[in-house]
Order: sequence, then C-alpha cells, then structure tokens
Amino acid sequence: MNSMSTKTWTSAESVGAPSPPRRASAPPRTGRVQKPSQPLAFLVPAMAIMLVFFFVPSVYNLVYAFTDWSSFKSSINFVGLRNFSNVLSNGVLLGDLKVNIIYAVLVAIFQNLFGLGLALLLEADTRINRFARTMIFIPVLMSALAVGYTFQALLKPDGSVNAVLSFVTGQEVTYAWLNDPSWTLVWLTLIHAWKWMGLAMLIYLAGLKTISSEVLEAARIDGVNRWQTFRHVKFPFLAPAATFNVATALLGSMNSFDIAQATTGGGPGQTTEILNIFIYRTFGQGLFAQATTMSLVLVIVISLMAFPTIVLLRRRERVL
Amino acid sequence: MTRLRKPLIAAAAVVLLTAGCSDPGAGSGDTGSSAPASWPAETTKLDGVNLTIWAAQNSNTVAKKVAEDFGAATGAKINILTVPDPYEQSVQTKVASGDKPDLAFWQPTASQLTAINAKQNLQSLDGAPFIDKYTPALKDATGILDGTRYAALVTVPAVEGVWYNKEVFAKYGIASTPKNFDEMVAAGRKIKAAGGVPFYEMGGEKWATQWWVQVQLADAAKQGLWDKVNKNEEKFTDPTILDAIKKYKSLVDEGLFNKNITSATFVDQGKALLSGEAAMAIQVNTFFSQMQAQSNTAELNKKIGFFPISPAGNIGTNIPDQSNALIAFKTGDAKREGAARQFLSYWLGTAYPEFVKDLNTVSIQTGVETPADVPDALKANADSIGESVGSMQVLAIVNPDLYLNLANMLAGQATPEKVAETTQAQFDQLAQAIGAAGF
Repeated sequence: MNSMSTKTWTSAESVGAPSPPRRASAPPRTGRVQKPSQPLAFLVPAMAIMLVFFFVPSVYNLVYAFTDWSSFKSSINFVGLRNFSNVLSNGVLLGDLKVNIIYAVLVAIFQNLFGLGLALLLEADTRINRFARTMIFIPVLMSALAVGYTFQALLKPDGSVNAVLSFVTGQEVTYAWLNDPSWTLVWLTLIHAWKWMGLAMLIYLAGLKTISSEVLEAARIDGVNRWQTFRHVKFPFLAPAATFNVATALLGSMNSFDIAQATTGGGPGQTTEILNIFIYRTFGQGLFAQATTMSLVLVIVISLMAFPTIVLLRRRERVL
Repeated sequence: MTRLRKPLIAAAAVVLLTAGCSDPGAGSGDTGSSAPASWPAETTKLDGVNLTIWAAQNSNTVAKKVAEDFGAATGAKINILTVPDPYEQSVQTKVASGDKPDLAFWQPTASQLTAINAKQNLQSLDGAPFIDKYTPALKDATGILDGTRYAALVTVPAVEGVWYNKEVFAKYGIASTPKNFDEMVAAGRKIKAAGGVPFYEMGGEKWATQWWVQVQLADAAKQGLWDKVNKNEEKFTDPTILDAIKKYKSLVDEGLFNKNITSATFVDQGKALLSGEAAMAIQVNTFFSQMQAQSNTAELNKKIGFFPISPAGNIGTNIPDQSNALIAFKTGDAKREGAARQFLSYWLGTAYPEFVKDLNTVSIQTGVETPADVPDALKANADSIGESVGSMQVLAIVNPDLYLNLANMLAGQATPEKVAETTQAQFDQLAQAIGAAGF
C-alpha cells in the first residue's frame, strides 16, 4: 500500500506534472496565521453544495415561517408571529414533541445497548465474526421505508412474528403489535434501533481497536476478570465512541420519519405520531407555512437538546 | 479577493432569497389565461405522446380499459400511477414540490379544488364537448370553482348511506329498512341482542370514520349548518356537531360495532358485509365497487342493499369523491395538455357507453343508458342523489382532518370534545390560509 502510493506519486512527477505548487516558492509567512496548505478555492465546490442544499433552505425555513405561504393562493405575505401562536396553541405539536422525545431517548438507549453488545461479542477478528459484522451492517444500508414495510408485514396480527410465537407457545397469538396505544411506540424504537445498530457496532468496534494491547495485558497480569476489564478498562476508552453514538442516535432519531410512517403512519390514535409525520400531514393539507414553522420548532428543539448532550458527554471524556 | 467574495456571496443569497419569495406556484410564462382551450377531435393521432394519470388505490382500475382503448385509437401511451393513501395529501405534497401528472383523479368539490390551487395548477375544462351530455341534475352540480370548470365527472357522485346485508336483516327479523337514524340504531340493538354484529367500521384505515358523523348532520346541513360554520358563526364544538360525535362514540361504547374497530381495514369491511359477519356499514360508493370486485351482480342483488339515512328520515349525504372525477394539469407542454383534454372528451364521448358497461355502473349522461345488470344497491344509491344534501367536503370551504381525529377517538386517545376542538382548530387555520372572512 505504502510503496504503491509512493510509486504513483513518483510516476506522476516524472510524466511532466505541473510545476511545484506556488507555496514552495512563496516567502515564509511571518504572521501568526499559517498559510493553509491548499488554496482556499478548493473549498468552493463543497461550500457551494452547502450553500445551495443547506444554507439557503435553512434561511428559507426561517423566512417562510413568518409568512402565509399555502397551496390555496399564489401570493405570499408576511404575517408576523401568527404561525407560531397557532402552532403552539394547538396541543398537537406539544403532544407530538413529547412522543418524539420519548422515541429519541429510547432509540438512543436501544441502539447503543445493541451496538455495544454486538461490538463486544464480535470483537475478535475471526472469520465468523467478520461475516456476522457484515450481516449486521446490512440493515444500515437498507432503505428505511423498506425496513418499515417489512416489519409492518411481519408484525400484522396474522403475520409471521405471531405465527412463530403461536408455534413456540403452543397457543394462538394474535397480538396487534402496531396497534397498541401503550407499547407500539416501544416496538417502533426497537425497529429503529435494529436498523441502525450495525453502525453503532462499527463505531464501538473502532473504539475497541484503539485500546492498546499493553493496557489490556497489564489488566490481565493484574488478574482482573472479564467484567472488570470491560468496566474499568474498555468502557472508559470507549467514551469518544459513546459520545458519537449517543449524540447521533438521539439527534438523528429526533428527525425520524420513514420507519414510523411506513409501519403505523402515526397511529394508533397518534400515539406514535412523531413530529415529522405531523409536519408532513400539515404540509399535505396545503398549510406550507405552518409546516415550515413546525420544522423550525423542531430545529430549535434539536439544537437545544444537542448542545447539553454533547457538552455533557465530552466532559465525561475529559474526566476519564 | 476574500474581501470581494463576502459581498458577492451576500448578494447571491439575497438574489436567491427574493427569487424564492416570489410565488413558487407561479409557473414561468403561465398567465392563467381563461381563453377557452381547443378541444381536439377524439381520435386525432397522438403517436409518441405519453400521458400520466395519478389514481388512488380505490380508483386505479377505473380508467384502465378506457386508457387502453384510447391508446389503441390514437397511439398515445397512458400510464396510470397509483399514489399511496392518504391520496389527497400525497398528491398535494407532490404538486407542491413541482411534480405534476397530466391527469389525476380528484375530488371535484370546491374545497378540494381550492386545496390544489386549481386556478394556478389546473386546465380549465370550460367549453368541453361533454358538458351538455350530462344529466341536468349533475351538469353543474360539482367540479366548478369560482365559475370555472376544473373537473370532469366520469361516474355518478358518491352518496354516504347505509349498505346492508339483506340476508342478515332477514335472519334477525328486520322486515323493512329503517326510516330514520333512531330506527336504524334500534335495528342494530335488536341484532346485537340476538348475538349479531350490527355495524362494521374500518377504524384501522381511518377515513370512513367521518361518515357516521356526517350522516347525522344531513338535516342540519339542509338548514344551512355549513354556511354558518363557514362564517365562523357555528363551531364544531357547538352542540350540533359535537352531539353527533358523542352519539357515534356512545354507539361504539355500547358495543354495536365490530370488535376490531380500531384495526379493521376497508377490505375487511367489504368482506364482513358480503359474508354476513356484520349487518350494516355506513360508507360511500367505492365501498360497493370493492364488493363488486369480490362478487357478481346476482350475488350482490341477493345480499346487498342500500338506504340513505339521516336523523329525520332517509336523506343521503352526497360526496363526490376522488374516483368520480378527473382534473387536467397545466404541465406547460401544450401537446400533452391537448392530449389530456382529448382523452377526457374521448372518455366522455364515444367511449362512454362502453365505459359504463365495462364498469357496470350508473350512467351520468342523458344519451347513455345505465346497463341493465347494474346491481340494485347501486341504483338505489344513485336514486338518492336527487334528495341528498352536500357533505362537509361539498359545503364547507375547507376540509379539516375530521376523520383522523375521530379515528383517534376510536383508539381511545381523544374525547368527543377533544375531537371537536382539534377539528375546529384545523378548520380555523385552513380558513385563515384561504383568506376566508371571519377567521
């Protein structure tokens, strides 16, 4: 690998590559700021994409929230804070936000438990483990809608899951997994965590690989058992991986839509209606400005959750 | 250099922003002119023209045969695309993001034409050759918004009412069909007492839940209930509508419905009525189409009947639905727009007798006879149109998610008061959005 890249570099040089970069001939900088190693222009494509697909929509999101944009008429007028008072006085938004936060917290817990468990289980580099890691990573690559529809079929009252349960327990099981006002939300978070656990596993595995063998060896010489090794050696070293996994699972699932939409559509009785489904519904009614306002509220809530979460987890990293 | 870049970026952002703030619905070069469109002869050659029709799960077979015949006659290729339920919402979302078909099935009521911004998005169908062929009662009944015709009715508008199983009625000794809502409930109690299931509701798919409330409002609607609601003089939370919601809830609580009311689907409902598992279902015409797909005319005539219902008598509540009519979009491609119009005039022209026969449905044109073997229930349904009153979708200026709120109530997540309150809040928002006075 190393020798190859060197070779490529030399051959490129010998085939009359352009004259050495200007910086070589530029006089050394005296200021505090070092001259960057690449010209700033290299940032333009990335910045352009950011601008068009991230910055501009975000600004629109902010602007449209203060207008009466709808499917019903062609003109768009500013209406001040009317959308905010409408949206906040309507109990649905707060109810959905509550559902959304429960959903996100449960996903963060399950996804990390599964991911960490799998990483520890499949830590050794054996052939079987490598195969198992690949298999477990496949759901991550699958379309979330496909996952949702698959589980919808599996979890029907007369679906395969109940058929298996009936066979195992020896009695007819007709539980409506996706139609239980108190538990369906939990089943959904398990599906979500199942889909993404491969990614969490991969990150925890990477974390485990960074632990130097000397530390582990020292622990072994000290005579600690497996649990102690995990609790006092491996787990502390996994702190950065945990920060990343918890933060992405928590904040990523705040933005979830597809799995819930494909399995329950928000039902039964809006008990699984996460905010994005409500936004979609409002948008579909033609109330574009209200939907925009709600998504702005979602952005604010996610930001409010993100900062403390990340700060807290980072602090834990530092302590250790 | 960097000093220059900042203002440049800022300027670009401002330009983009102001461009975005102008009307996104306004197509380029589209003046929304109301000049009557030309109506090409029905079989003008259209080789190489591809048309797309959006249809819902319950309407995607309606146009199948006529589209094939049109293709054979003109060389045009018509692709019927099923848009997932909830259909209206999915279509509005797609249209809002710039995706438009050539034609789509669409509820031809004023509230739904408003919702799709007909003036901006749809072709005017004024001057179409088929307008004068409609039966007088239906000619100007629907499809028109602010004096412009945007929808072409292809089948008889739906009427909400009671579809019942004649054999089940006979089994429990109910000799004649109920004469009003209370008699119907009494019949239901009789059936339940004898161990049967009086009513079947499809709470799992939600959308039919509103029929139970709407039929109870039929008499009030005749007295101008929706006019008052439209002016914000009466609310969903006032006794008239709230009591109808409460009544529905109390009947469910009484156990007059199927046990799986919160998870049952549209298909389950059709099967249950056809098999005699349940005695009655309040539904619209697509429900019958579904049973037709599972059965034949002889069996349907033997088993299934229809009667309209209202608190005071047998008044139906009409609701032209999405499977009854088509709209043609302004796509900006003159050739395809013309082809779409041509397809409609072919469908409602020479192809119509064949279409009615093929679909085995009631004709809406004076010159075309209803096929003799159209099931009795469907004829009874069509006969009730004359007396019927418009539904919320027809008479209210906007269409809130009443069905969804009612489904939440069935799932035990909302009280009738909460349903009324949430629905009214949505009504207010929508009315405000269209700029209605009084909101």
